[in-house]
Amino acid sequence: MTAAGLVNSMVLSLLDKAPPMGVIPDTVPVAEAAVRPELWWAGLILYLPLLSLVLCGLCAAFKVKTKLPAWLTTASLLASFVVSVMLYLNHEPPGYLVPLLSWIDLSWAGGDFVANFTLYIDSLSLLWVMFVTGLGTLITFYASEYMEADLGKGYTRFFAGVSVFLFAMVALVLADNLVMLYLGWEGVGFASYWLIGYYYQRPAAVAAAKKAFIMNRIGDLGLALAIYLIWSTFGTIQYDELMVVLREGSWAESYEGWTIDVIPWFLMLAAFGKSAQIPLYVWLPDAMEGPTPVSALIHAATMVTAGIYLVARTYEFFLLSPESLHVVAWVGGLTALLAATIGMAQYDIKRIMAYSTVSQLGFMFLGLGVLSTYGAVYHVFTHAFFKAALFLTCGAIMHGFAGQLDLRKLSGLIRIPGWRITSIAMLIGCLALAGFPLTSGYFSKDAILAEAFVTQGPGFEALGWMAIFTAFLTAYYTFRVWFRVCAGKVEYEPGDEHHGDDDHGHSDGHFHPHAPRFAMNFVMAVIAIGAMVATVPYFLDTKADEALAGGWVADMVHDSTARGGLPGLDGHGQPISESGAHDHHDHDDHAHPTILGMDPHFAMYIISGVVGGLGLLLAAWLHLFRRQDADRLRAALMGRWWIAWLPRAMERKWYVDEIYIGLVRAPLWVASHLMYAFDRFLIDGVLVDGVARIPRLVARWFQPLHNGIIQSYAVTMAGGLALIALLMILFLQFWNIGGGG
Amino acid sequence: MIWGWIMLLLPIIGALGVVVSSGRAARSLALWTSLATFGASIVAAVNFGVWGTGEFGLVSSIPWMSEVGISISIGADSVSMMLVLLTTFLMPLAVLGSWTAVNERLKEYYGWLLLIETAMIGVFLARDLVFFYVCFEFTLVPMYFLIAIYGGSGRARACVKFFLYTFTGSLIALVGFLYVAWSNMESTGQWSFDIATLTTFAAGMPLADQLWILTALVIGFAVKIPLFPVHTWLPLAHTEAPTAGSVILAGVLLKLGTYGLYRFALPMTPEAVVEWAPILGILSIVGILYAGLICWVQTDVKKLVAYSSVSHLGFCVLGIFALNPMGLQGSVLYMINHGLSTGALFFLVGMMYERYHTRDMDSIGGLAKRMPIWAFFMVFFVLASVGLPGLNGFVSEFLCLLGTFAAGESGSYPGVLGPWFAAFAALGMIVAAMYLLIMVGKIVFGSLKEPAGTDRHGLSVDLNAREITVLVPLAVLCILLGVQPWIAMDAMDGSVVEILSVYQPSEVAQQMVDAGSAWVAGSPSP
Amino acid sequence: MILLASAFGQQALAHYLLLSGVLFVIGLVGFLSRRNLIVMFLCTELMFQAAAIAMVAAGRYYYDFSGQVFVIFILTVAAAEAALALALVVLLFRRKSTLNAEDWRELRE
Repeated sequence: MTAAGLVNSMVLSLLDKAPPMGVIPDTVPVAEAAVRPELWWAGLILYLPLLSLVLCGLCAAFKVKTKLPAWLTTASLLASFVVSVMLYLNHEPPGYLVPLLSWIDLSWAGGDFVANFTLYIDSLSLLWVMFVTGLGTLITFYASEYMEADLGKGYTRFFAGVSVFLFAMVALVLADNLVMLYLGWEGVGFASYWLIGYYYQRPAAVAAAKKAFIMNRIGDLGLALAIYLIWSTFGTIQYDELMVVLREGSWAESYEGWTIDVIPWFLMLAAFGKSAQIPLYVWLPDAMEGPTPVSALIHAATMVTAGIYLVARTYEFFLLSPESLHVVAWVGGLTALLAATIGMAQYDIKRIMAYSTVSQLGFMFLGLGVLSTYGAVYHVFTHAFFKAALFLTCGAIMHGFAGQLDLRKLSGLIRIPGWRITSIAMLIGCLALAGFPLTSGYFSKDAILAEAFVTQGPGFEALGWMAIFTAFLTAYYTFRVWFRVCAGKVEYEPGDEHHGDDDHGHSDGHFHPHAPRFAMNFVMAVIAIGAMVATVPYFLDTKADEALAGGWVADMVHDSTARGGLPGLDGHGQPISESGAHDHHDHDDHAHPTILGMDPHFAMYIISGVVGGLGLLLAAWLHLFRRQDADRLRAALMGRWWIAWLPRAMERKWYVDEIYIGLVRAPLWVASHLMYAFDRFLIDGVLVDGVARIPRLVARWFQPLHNGIIQSYAVTMAGGLALIALLMILFLQFWNIGGGG
Repeated sequence: MIWGWIMLLLPIIGALGVVVSSGRAARSLALWTSLATFGASIVAAVNFGVWGTGEFGLVSSIPWMSEVGISISIGADSVSMMLVLLTTFLMPLAVLGSWTAVNERLKEYYGWLLLIETAMIGVFLARDLVFFYVCFEFTLVPMYFLIAIYGGSGRARACVKFFLYTFTGSLIALVGFLYVAWSNMESTGQWSFDIATLTTFAAGMPLADQLWILTALVIGFAVKIPLFPVHTWLPLAHTEAPTAGSVILAGVLLKLGTYGLYRFALPMTPEAVVEWAPILGILSIVGILYAGLICWVQTDVKKLVAYSSVSHLGFCVLGIFALNPMGLQGSVLYMINHGLSTGALFFLVGMMYERYHTRDMDSIGGLAKRMPIWAFFMVFFVLASVGLPGLNGFVSEFLCLLGTFAAGESGSYPGVLGPWFAAFAALGMIVAAMYLLIMVGKIVFGSLKEPAGTDRHGLSVDLNAREITVLVPLAVLCILLGVQPWIAMDAMDGSVVEILSVYQPSEVAQQMVDAGSAWVAGSPSP
Repeated sequence: MILLASAFGQQALAHYLLLSGVLFVIGLVGFLSRRNLIVMFLCTELMFQAAAIAMVAAGRYYYDFSGQVFVIFILTVAAAEAALALALVVLLFRRKSTLNAEDWRELRE
């Protein structure tokens, strides 16, 4: 059997698995979540990273110079992962609450504003918390070797930062209310600030950290306003109560106004900030100034997916205002395309991966926007693995080649002894990212792309084609990296980074890259295997609902708030009725959508396979077989004025940073200076000092009297007294006359 | 209750002791006195008995000028008690923080410090208007001398401006107070300066009168807070004041203004407040954004922190004029939290100044390399100030904005602010992150830059044990109030509802007070 | 009261008041014309005593002890003031070795 035949038969067998369009009964009742205090140990998922933070703090206080902080952190996170798996094994839908601590309770002040540290455990949060703690453990283990050059310097600080991140991320995911989610939301932003700025003596790292925090703050503003709006409209901010209110529709009786049309926009702002979408994506590529394990964990696998989580968690609000979902889809699609075009033209492999993260996050938002929460969540899941694998391999290369990240200066890694695992892990990651048939990325991306053609929306079909084109670009730039760096003949230049005491063998005047050792190799291998295995959930049986396809991930979405975006259900998690209440999700038989006359899912398997293959071939031509053609192509493009702007703009990232500086930062800067001048000269100088000067001006008339000679004062005084006495006498006489008269 | 008087008198006795002691003994005597006062306030708080209700505790009175109805009467509701605790808590730290910074005229210095403590406690405890006013004004005198004698190079101008500006403001407030007292005398035939009596009386005055009274009060207290546009004395005074002076100024003295609004403006002139709230709300928001943006272009760290106080207290005022329990509670929490985090920031700036003798952000940088412990605390308190959830600043800022947002919606409070106010004020969150992180990026991170010829005057390179001792209690409280804010919130909800009771029908208020007083029965919410 | 005035008639009062007035004018003129700090101080004392004499006389005339009480007050205050003022004069002398009042004009600031 040929390979093509194998693919064909696999694809045909998948047809059965393709999410059906039929009517599926909604079996999960809507009720307030049960409170289960007996599951208090779920809190350990939160407390263990906190414990590791405290232990790292102690290590710092006692100036520990060994790898102890790394082991402590890894052990705590592993324990945290084990607890989350146990929780998953114990899980029965629907979700339930585990109260931990009280925090803010304003129920006495009218309204029901209660935000306690309570965990809301449903399948969606379990899915997230498992891959977050699992990948966290692995990447921490990886970092124990990666960061060893900083032993005794920043080593402890690094692992303390990772602990903070894990704590905040878990709090974000497990929160039962929007304010605790906000705590995690800002917490991960802060951890990200901490870790991006890890090399705090580099101005670029400090600037990047600052930028990340401020950009995220813009998103946080949206989240805060969304919380206020949700609370004032629906009277609660706890998910379970919100869901009850929303499903029962009781809020609508007294509702009059505009808030529900605004809430999703603010949630979107928050999600776009955290998940690096247009217009707030510019911080993520800069965030690569942090150590690579951080980029892998925070800026690829976990934190940046918090935006997806937020939208999935609050999906009902988006469904109340369908236009918002169209915007989500378009923003996602455009971000994917924009970031892919930038990624194509970069030379720094870590930046390429950063742009590819932005691009893939765009795909996820596209999925959310076209009512495929399932596809988005599945893509989050697979992306976490393959992108972590890619970043960790980049990190290994950076570590071994003294910070070299330029793909023009590295080649043929797979042939260098000790780099085989790195190269293969990177290959697996690249295949999945490129959406090569039968890899995990292939299935998860298809779940999104196909739905773009299924769901009715403004220009969704064009959006779908655009996304397919983006998938082609993705395959190209992904393999551009792999063919350049890992394939080809052996050739390399070291970078200029001499961190720590490892001298990379400079003593003999010749550079020897040092290959990753056990910890890094082990983690890269495990995560690469994970990236392959991530396909499996797709084929598992769906337990929650017989009629529901999509496997384990669909199960995990089905029991959660994001069920509105499952294939086969309408926006409210109800089976699609024949009346077609939601025109944006119309599955009427006579309007059955197709791509090129085929069933969308089947067509998508073929199209995306072909597109991925084409991208790969293009990359192979330009970057493996005939590398000089790539330079020639670039020279040819640059030489023609009518097209030269395109590669230049792509290399310069479409000048977005410059535009922001010019349009926002510079005007604000000038305005601030003007305000300061206004404050000093007008308010303080003219108004305050001006008023204060009035008495002084008045005093100037009398100043000559004030000459410092005591006698002249005495004369004044005596004269004054005499005058008073005179007046009194006159007055008394007058009074006497008056009185007498 | 005797403990109120002990708190008031201990610092005075201590100040007398300091003045007659030998110079070196002065600071330890001051430290012990302030610690003893703190202890007394803790005992008073434990025996307070009315936490969570709208009642007054520590009530006591001695006659002063009985013919005109003036007495020295004290008493505290939960909010006052909390502010007293903040004062007595900050004082030992202020003494400890100036241990090596002040080297001359020690007796005077610590004497003034202790006197200002009495004055501040007096303001919070006063239940007689004249006594309140005397204490309120008396805070100026020690602060004037602290700035004038121990301040920086521009201290002469700063202390005069500080004194005259705030003094003028309070005189205008005094006119308002006297008008109320006089009207009360006209109506009842006898003088009274009892705050409770006058408050009830003023609340019943016609709107036109209330508007005049509120104008006077707001002018007086707004200068103290300081609210845009009467804020310009603050950056100057802060920049020139010695470290402990700045800490007390930011930590407590600014709160006298917001406390004045809480204690007098809100309950005395309810109708006028409703009329004026939008204007004051707009002024607060302008202050938040305007001062925040000005912070961005500062090069002097201390001036930056000073302007950030203007920005922060805008949230506080906004919360007050939200006129609902959430906003007001957030505002009171903000007073405490701002005292902790900004006080700590001033300490940190002072510690840096003691070592480098400069506060210019262009000439120092990357101090994390040299002083990691200092850098840790700096980043910590900056984050508390920015309002990172989990630390104290967040809860109060969130509640102020929530209250502003929900103004007029919850219960039957006549709030006149609303979503637009909250939305614009919330932009302050971004601005705060901007200027504080830029400041941190310049002085804490980046490549190491120290002024040439740095002379640390025998201080260790990084913080020493004494300095860490100053910062740790503040940090612990920041975390505590960030993670378990309900301790403070439940303790004060009754008072907050009581202050706002003139704004809504009594039965609703009573329900809320009942709900709040559950705390006293020892059943905090789960 | 007027009845009792026979013991100390208007004539006598007039004499006393005249004496008081003369003393006061001497003191005032002295104060205005001299530059020596101590002499100036003595002149102020003279004025004090002039006032005191007037008080005592008037008190006797009206048979009212307030006048005498006032005098006691004046004496006490004058004593305290003398102590302070002389101490100040000594301090000033130490600074500039002069007792001329015009040398201290800068104190006006």
